[in-house]
Formats: sequence, structure tokens, C-alpha cells
Amino acid sequence: MARPMGPVRLKKTSPATLAVGAALCIFILYFLIGSSTPDFSASRKATAAVHHLSPPTSPFRKPTGSGKPKPPPVTRYNLNNVTITPDPLESRENILLLTPMARFYPEYWDNLLQLSYPHELITLGFILPKTKEGNTATTELQKRITKTQKYGPEKDRFKSIIILREDFEPPLSSQDESERHKMHNQKIRRAAMAKSRNSLLFSTLGPSTSWVFWLDADVVETPPSIIQDLARHDQPVVAPNCFQRYWNAEKKEMDERPYDFNNWQDSPNAQELAKQMGPDDILLEGYAEMATFRSLMAYMHKDDGLLHEEVPLDGVGGAALLVKADVHRDGAMFPAFPFYHLIETEGFAKMAKRLGWQPIGLPNYKVYHYNE
Amino acid sequence: MLPFASSGSKVTPRHHVGGYSNGYPRGSTFDISPHRFQPRGTASAYRSRRTQSFVRLAIVAAVLFFLILLSWRGSSALSIFSLGLLAHDQDFQLETTRYYDLSNVQGTARGWEREERILLCVPLRDAEPHLPMFFSHLQNFTYPHHLIDVAFLVSDSKDRTLEVLVQNMEAIQASEDEKMPFGEISIIEKDFGQVVNQDVESRHGFAAQAGRRKLMARARNWLLSAALRPYHSWVYWRDVDVETAPFTILEDLMRHNKDVIVPNVWRPLPEWLGGEQPYDLNSWQESETALALADTLDEDAVIVEGYAEYATWRPHLAYLRDPFGDPDMEMELDGVGGVSILAKAKVFRYGVHFPAFSFEKHAETEGFGKMARRMDFSVVGLPHYTIWHTYEPSVDDIKHMEQMEREKLAAEEAEKEKAEKAMKLKESFGDATGQWEKDKSDLANIALEEKKETGAGAPAAGTEDKTDAKVAAGKAQGKTEDKTGDKVNAGKDGVEDGKT
Repeated sequence: MARPMGPVRLKKTSPATLAVGAALCIFILYFLIGSSTPDFSASRKATAAVHHLSPPTSPFRKPTGSGKPKPPPVTRYNLNNVTITPDPLESRENILLLTPMARFYPEYWDNLLQLSYPHELITLGFILPKTKEGNTATTELQKRITKTQKYGPEKDRFKSIIILREDFEPPLSSQDESERHKMHNQKIRRAAMAKSRNSLLFSTLGPSTSWVFWLDADVVETPPSIIQDLARHDQPVVAPNCFQRYWNAEKKEMDERPYDFNNWQDSPNAQELAKQMGPDDILLEGYAEMATFRSLMAYMHKDDGLLHEEVPLDGVGGAALLVKADVHRDGAMFPAFPFYHLIETEGFAKMAKRLGWQPIGLPNYKVYHYNE
Repeated sequence: MLPFASSGSKVTPRHHVGGYSNGYPRGSTFDISPHRFQPRGTASAYRSRRTQSFVRLAIVAAVLFFLILLSWRGSSALSIFSLGLLAHDQDFQLETTRYYDLSNVQGTARGWEREERILLCVPLRDAEPHLPMFFSHLQNFTYPHHLIDVAFLVSDSKDRTLEVLVQNMEAIQASEDEKMPFGEISIIEKDFGQVVNQDVESRHGFAAQAGRRKLMARARNWLLSAALRPYHSWVYWRDVDVETAPFTILEDLMRHNKDVIVPNVWRPLPEWLGGEQPYDLNSWQESETALALADTLDEDAVIVEGYAEYATWRPHLAYLRDPFGDPDMEMELDGVGGVSILAKAKVFRYGVHFPAFSFEKHAETEGFGKMARRMDFSVVGLPHYTIWHTYEPSVDDIKHMEQMEREKLAAEEAEKEKAEKAMKLKESFGDATGQWEKDKSDLANIALEEKKETGAGAPAAGTEDKTDAKVAAGKAQGKTEDKTGDKVNAGKDGVEDGKT
């Protein structure tokens, strides 16, 4: 079939070309509207702060364009309206999830992403040491954060994320398990850990947090509904049982064993030991040299036990810990000095008790520690 | 060859560009294309119609797709035309990630040069009468205002503290003067269910102290934990009822570069009480006696300073003041008072707080000092650098003043009576004088009769006497007037004291 040539050709446009053109238009307009940064839902925008000088538990509006920035507004916070209820989902309570981090485990982040509590109500807070290892961990953490907050689906993105770097030298260069657990290193290590936890807590708590959820960076597996499950108990301080999965060479299969021994009930032996100690000595758990005969929650676990069984505790570990924000607001912190011969999380339990808050543990509710 | 290329389609780009095509043939309109190929076969027309409907469908689909896209993304259509260059209030971008290096906010001696931010914490309860004075202090701070973040905690207030606060702070933030607005302003409300009254007697009664101090401690901790941010280098605690303080107090205290530092706090007194008095007795050094006493008390007991019940024999910062001493002189402390504390933010970040329980037998600010020492922070006071607290007369003082008032009135009454008596006396004396004058003049007359021209000066002397007596009476009158004047002044003072 001969086709006319010349100007006539210009007039003729095939629908295919049109379709391609239309597609191109759509493509271009799509990129015009959608800028490089992600957009957030209206409910998120409603909770955003208007100025960067604001509680870090909320996102803030990016300063736009030139012009003199206005002074921050007078902001009112009514703490009488910050509820702490057994059903935090119902009253849309804000969770502050705090993690002191020395190493970044991708499994930790994957576990965070699978939490079923609405992410737009969860603020993450991290504190990392200013060492080479800390720098590496920070870089990796930031990579994962960018991936989730910028390119991830809306439901995965967290309300806000705070990364802090420590302002003191870490006492030990080695994070090896054997070195870490040496008794004479414990007091210095845990005092530094207490400082990290307090720095993280008191610079991020803010006026809208209802619950503080402490989760260690090496806890890599929790039930997705852990926040709702622990809050359900309506207790000031709730500690689940921390276990570790390992390869059992005898049974030739994967097995699990108790890991965190800082969740305990006091014993007369331990109190007797404490009485004989100097004011700067501390009691430690899990050392043969210091037999405290405390009842450890790690060994209270029963395979056929009730999942939500509660036991009162006198000392808690920090692997996973749900705390009502009021407990911290009243002043309960992690003593970096021997407090009743206790330090860090165990001292925290004691201080909470001094303020009238009784910690409890859930021996049959398990979270899993990374296996090094 | 493409099958569509030879279709001989009548559809030209003009007909649909920008989606204007309505699908009707434009036969009757002016057509400038000169080389139209005519005529057309029926099959070709059918094909062209089919193509047209196909294109129309595609356009409708594209428009729909756009509408859906727009509504789904929730962004305004305006951004298409502005090419996203204009920013809209409704369409702002959120920043969800914040990064802070705490080693940048350690606090140094010359913070104003390094742009170090201060958190100013002010706990308030029924403080409306003090607020105007406080705002004048606030505006007078010489530390760069944009580096000061102010946080108030309003708890259990029954007066208009909150309204006055919001109004005034908003006015300050909207100020024309560029140097006036502060940084972040947080007004936090939280009621603790105050059991203890705020009047002076119940506040300072010994029995109420422990419970009251623990409550105050909770309030302070709530305020701090809600307001402390990762960008603060310093935290300054200030009570609203400070009457006089140097405008440069922040820089003055900061220059010492201590972890925790407090000035001396005194208060002015009425003359009859000695003119001035140490006010804050919570800043002290630990003593052996106090440590021994602490050992005898039970776990929950709280030692409070300034009460006879606990004789601690501690050296107090307040009593060491020398009005002419070096204001930069430092003194190590173990307990501190809360009227004016400057502390590095890291002290609070590391966990030191105001114990709302008995910490080493102390609570609140004294416990704070103890805990800071426990964590090896430096805690110092400046004995010769003084700020002045307002004078609130205590119930005893008020009783005393009433007593003084009564005495004054009584004295006045007595004075009056005395004056009246004097008047009466004078009157009678005056009469007597008259009589005497009469007698005198009689005598003079007699004398005149006897010796002519010798008694000429006598009446004049008599008048002189009379004037003297009048002057004396007038003096007495003046005295009573002065007294009344005193009374009025005292009354005014009393009213003012009552206010403050």
C-alpha cells in the first residue's frame, strides 16, 4: 500500500503515538506533583510541630524557603490528658521505644517493622557511642531508617525517630561477650550503660508519651503484639522473660535457653550480703563468687504455664521493659551509682519501688536475644 | 508498514491536544489544512470512528487516572501549575528524623558565644500576683533570648495564673523587638492533687515539710522530663517570687563553669525585723552531726533545714554572706535550694533529679544536691552573690504586726489623751494666766498709780508668755499628726506586704 508523502504525512498521527504521548504526560505530571520526599497522611500532619524547637517525639515542619524564621509559638501541653490505659490502641496512646545501641542487627529492625501497634504512634529513640563501632552502627541504622521513612509504605513509617550520640567515652573498647561479662568490668560497664539510658530517656521523653518501651538492640524476636500484650497488664513496670535460641548439639536441633538474669525476686541471702558491703559496692547476679540465692524469673518459665502469669519483681533487666511514662516522670531513672547496692536496671526497679511503683515480670512471655 | 499509519485518519493533532476534543466532527469550522485527501471510503470512515472512540476512551481514562492520583496523594492541584516551586501551608513537608550529638551540648563557661541553649524551668502554683514581676525579670535577661527555652509547669492553680501566663508569653513572642522573643515556650499543665495549702504557715510548718517537699520534687521532675531536649546545654531553675536579681545572672553563674551552682538568697524585711534576712536555708555543707542524725532516722524520713526539730549544725551558704565580699567567691555545697539553680543539662541527662522519696534522708532540691555529689558533679554556692526573694510576712509576723499596730493605736490614743489633758491643763492654766494677767494688770495699775510710767513694759511680757504656751500646744498637736502619718504609712506597708 502506497502512502502519500510530503506535508500530508504531518497531518496523520497514529493513535499509538497519542497513547505514548499521553503516557509520557502522565509520567511527567506524576513526577511534578510527587516530589522527592514522601508525603504523610493528614493525621500525621496534624500532630506535627510547627518549629524544629519542639518535643522530638513529634515530627516537625521542614523550614520552607527563605525569609526570617518566626520565633517558636507558645505551646500548651496538658499532661492531665495524657492517658495510660490497659488498651493503649483504643485511646491512641503514644509509645516511646528506646534502644541503647552498640551494634546494629538487621534482625532487630525487621522485628521493629513487624510490630502490630500503629507505627504512627511509635517514636523510636536510639543512643550510640562515638566510637568506630558506633559510627558503623549509626550508618547502618540511618540507612534502614531512610529506607523505611522515605521509601517504605505509610503504615511502616514511625511517628518520629531520634538518634543521639553519647557524650562520654565508653569504658570498654571490646564488646565481646566474654570481656563484657567479667565481674570487675561489670560495675563500670553498667554505670556507663545507665548514663546512656538516662541520657536517652530524659532528652526524648517529652510531654505526650504514655508508655516507654525499652528494647535492647540485640533483642531480635518479639511477638508482634508485644506492646498491646504488656500494656494489657496495666502495671507500672512490666518485664517479659528474655530467652536465647541456640543450636543444641546434643539434641541436634534448635533449642532455647534463659538469657537475662537481672529479673529477680530478692532473697534474705542477698540482703545479708548487701549489709556487709561498703557503700560503693554492688550486688551482681549470675556470678558464682556472689551467691545471692535470689529467685530468678529466667527459671520460673513453664512450657505449659499461662502466657500472662504475673510475678512481682525486685530487680529488672533492660532487654525488654514496658514502663508507664509516669514512673519515669516521677523521677525513676537508672542509677549510675550504687543505689541500695544496685545499679542500672536493677537500681531502677529499686527506685521505682521507693516511689511506690511495683515492677512485675511475665515468666511465660518470651522475647529472644541475638545469639553471638 | 504499521497498519495504523495508512489508516488515513481524519483525526489531526489539533482536535485533541490538551484533551479539548469533544468527539464531534468540526466540518463546519474554518479549516486551514489545504491538502485534505478526499473522498473517503466507508470502511475507512468506520475505522476512523472506531479509532476516535478509542482515543476518547484513553483521554477519559487519563483524566480519571489523574483525578484519582490527585485525591489519593492529597496534594492540591495548584502544585501542578506552580510546578511545586511554591510552598503552601497546607502542603508542608514533614521531617521525622532528628540527629543530635550530645558531646556538642556539654556547657562551657562562655555559653553565649558558643550559642548554647538554656532551658529555663519555672514551677508555678497560684502565682498570679508574682507574674508581672517575673515577666520583667524575664525580659531583662541579658543572655541572648533566642537561646533561652522557657518551660512552665502550672499545677493545681485556682487563680488566673495560666491565662496571664499565656497572654504575656504570646505578647513577648510577637514582640516587635527582634531581640525580645525567646526560643521554645512550653506551658505544661499537670495537677498533682495538692493536699497542702500554699499559704505561708502551712507551707513552712515543720510537720508538712516532708510531704510537701516530695510533692514539689515530683512537680519539678515532671517539668524537667517534659521540657528537656537533646539540644540543651544548661538548665536554669528559677522561682517566680524573686524580687531582685542581676540581669546578668545567667552569664554570672555560667562563668564559673560548674555542674551545679546557686547564688545566695536573702529577703528584705521591715525595719522592725532588722531590714534583711537569709531566706534560702537549703544550701548547705554536710556536717558530722547531720550525718550521725541521718543514721538514726528511718528510711523514709526527710531532714529539712531551718527547723529546730533537726539541729544539724551545718554551715549554711546564707549565713556566710558579706555584703562587701567578693561575689565570685565559691563554696562547696551538698544540699542546694531551689530558688535559682544553674546546672549543666548533662547533670539531668545522666539521671540526677529531685528525689520524690527520701534519698540519703533528703528530698527535692536538697536531695538533688546530694545526688549530684553522689555522681561526682561539682556543686557550689556563691556566698557573696545575692539575689532577693520577696518578703511574705508569716502568720507570726502578721500577728506581730497586728500587735505593733495595736500598740501604735494605743500609743496614739495615749498621745491624744495626753494632748487633750495638756490642752485642758493649758486651758485652765490659760485661765490662770488670764487671772494672773488680770492680777498682774491690777497690780500694774496699782503700781502705775503708785509709780507713774514705770509699768509700761509689763503687758508686753504677758503676751510673750501666752505665745510660748500656744507654740507648745501646737508642738503637741504636730506630734500627734506625725504619729497618724506613721500609722497611715505602716498601714500601706501592711497592705503591700499582704499582697506580696
